[in-house]
Amino acid sequence: MPVGKPDYYAVLGVFRDASQEEIKRAYLDAAQRLHPDKNVAAGETELFLSVQQAYEVLSNPKRRNQYDATLPPEIDEGNRLIKHEVFFSRPNLVRLGEDQLVYILFEVGPREEKPDQVPAPPLNLCLVLDRSTSMQGEKMDILKATAIQLLRSLRPQDVLSIVAFSDRAEVIVPASISLDKKKQEGRIQMMQTSGATEIYHGLEAGMREIRRTLDPSRVNHIILLTDGHTYGDEQACLQLAEEAAAQNVGITGMGVGHEWNDIFLDALASKTGGSSAYISNPKDIERLLIDKFKALVSTYADEVILDFKEQPGIRFNYAFRLQPEGGTVALQAPLHLGPILRDTPLHVLLEVVVGAEALSGNEVTLIDGSLKTSVNANPMPLPPIRLKLTREIQPNPSADPPPTRILSALSRLTLYRMQERAQTAVDAGQIDVAVRHLQNLATHLLSQGEHSLAKTALFEADNLERMHSFSASGSKDIKYKTRALLLKSGKEKAG
Amino acid sequence: MIVCSNCRHANMSGAMFCAECGAQLIGRDALITQTISTDKFKKVSKKAGDEEAYQDFDVTDAWGSLHLLDTGQVLPLSSRNEFTMGRISEGQPIMPDIDLSPFQAYAAGVSRLHAVIKREAGRIIFMDLGSANGTYINGKRLSPNIEQIVNHGDIIALGKLKMQILFKEQ
Repeated sequence: MPVGKPDYYAVLGVFRDASQEEIKRAYLDAAQRLHPDKNVAAGETELFLSVQQAYEVLSNPKRRNQYDATLPPEIDEGNRLIKHEVFFSRPNLVRLGEDQLVYILFEVGPREEKPDQVPAPPLNLCLVLDRSTSMQGEKMDILKATAIQLLRSLRPQDVLSIVAFSDRAEVIVPASISLDKKKQEGRIQMMQTSGATEIYHGLEAGMREIRRTLDPSRVNHIILLTDGHTYGDEQACLQLAEEAAAQNVGITGMGVGHEWNDIFLDALASKTGGSSAYISNPKDIERLLIDKFKALVSTYADEVILDFKEQPGIRFNYAFRLQPEGGTVALQAPLHLGPILRDTPLHVLLEVVVGAEALSGNEVTLIDGSLKTSVNANPMPLPPIRLKLTREIQPNPSADPPPTRILSALSRLTLYRMQERAQTAVDAGQIDVAVRHLQNLATHLLSQGEHSLAKTALFEADNLERMHSFSASGSKDIKYKTRALLLKSGKEKAG
Repeated sequence: MIVCSNCRHANMSGAMFCAECGAQLIGRDALITQTISTDKFKKVSKKAGDEEAYQDFDVTDAWGSLHLLDTGQVLPLSSRNEFTMGRISEGQPIMPDIDLSPFQAYAAGVSRLHAVIKREAGRIIFMDLGSANGTYINGKRLSPNIEQIVNHGDIIALGKLKMQILFKEQ
């Protein structure tokens, strides 16, 4: 591209064959984000002007044609900041009269050789803290100390807001850049426990604080920490999480003790590409919060989104993020896969069911769509990465073994899913099925050398048989420890 | 469709692990050499290696020990008062406290959950847990599930696996 001549397509973040409709939508999105009435970061007004200029040219078919003629032929180099690789569990599909499975592993990471030299993005972080009566004592004391520690460790460009909630919410530290830290610390010290847990109030107030300093060059994130069940407002919370996801705000759930609802927190966080963490001992609150803070500071791209068109006969059965931060990916359109950290690329495994009706031609299109990313250090919208994944159909299955990375990830993911099945069976009242799943899980844990976790699984199977329920911490212990095994295999692969 | 050889569950074609029991359906060899067997090997050598065994054997803490007669290894009994003995076998969710599988337990006819040894009120008690090939004290077969007091220096056999029990006087 000649110097001084901007690529209007890149400015709007669309493909060269984008329809007028797509161009218009991209323009409206960008204009909303960068409008001078709203933007905060330096240079965004200039960006806004170039977006307008690009739209003026591309929205007019005649001027667009003239402009296209001046462009060098498109070199499909993907994206200059992000590289991605795709692996399949098998090289081809088989012509069958029934459903079949294929696994797809995505690995998405920074293209740069030395991603750690990219400047660390500023944070726009909101801690949404449960201060219901049950948090009284050690939990609240550690939480206060950690919040103050985080406040002190902020860099000048970071924004940290704190919201405390019980059956109503209160902003303890409002989102703003210049902080009177002494006063804020005093406010944190004064937090008192009282009332019941109603997560929606806290989340809503948290979103309000986040929106004050919402900015695409920042990592916008809510950490929700609770120790109890919320009642009746789950749907409203999930809806709020969807709004957060649309505005590129991530949510992490942290549960203390064993009385919180892990399924709900996982569902909430996975809407935004996040996941939940289990804090079995209050003493770990500090470590986990600080670790999360460090992970956020090392964010390279805060969200990778897989947008796709529905294909006839193709169904996504299960999606799991192997790293960073293992967790199920909510099956929605588009898929929010998760973040890329500077030192940890994103790995997601997708289980796809191919129905017989998809096998009419010589090949099957599994995914036709694009990967969208926003790199925090780069405020310009990035062109999406085109993704068209197809497999040929053969009369016989291939003899090639599946790639080792898929096999080893699945061998551990299978353990996590057995635990999920046991949980589902318990919820459905099928105790004998759950016991069988746990015993099978124990067998596999044992053969993989995980003796203590195998014992836990057996112990819980025994508990189920006798008491028809898990022990107090049992189901969470098994869930989060089998999930941690996955992370281990992910780390090994990265090294 | 792939039928799991372990539990007969019908899995979708292209599945790699059984959705019901978690058994691996394809490429089995590759995984065994890569992860499972190396883990096992480490564990075995740790238990079988004399040096390691003696390191584990904390003399001040142990209240007794089992000396395997065939191989000369020592298994200390410490930190708790009751141990189940048997052998871990793949595919079975049974975990004895003392795993004898590194000592040719299978060939010697040790059951997966064979016997229990415990200390109670200063006495050492041995009990067969209904093993297939029996438990013998000084050559005399025990009735299953009946406690039997053992003495310092007795020779115990689980199937054909013989060991001598030594313990500290109280």
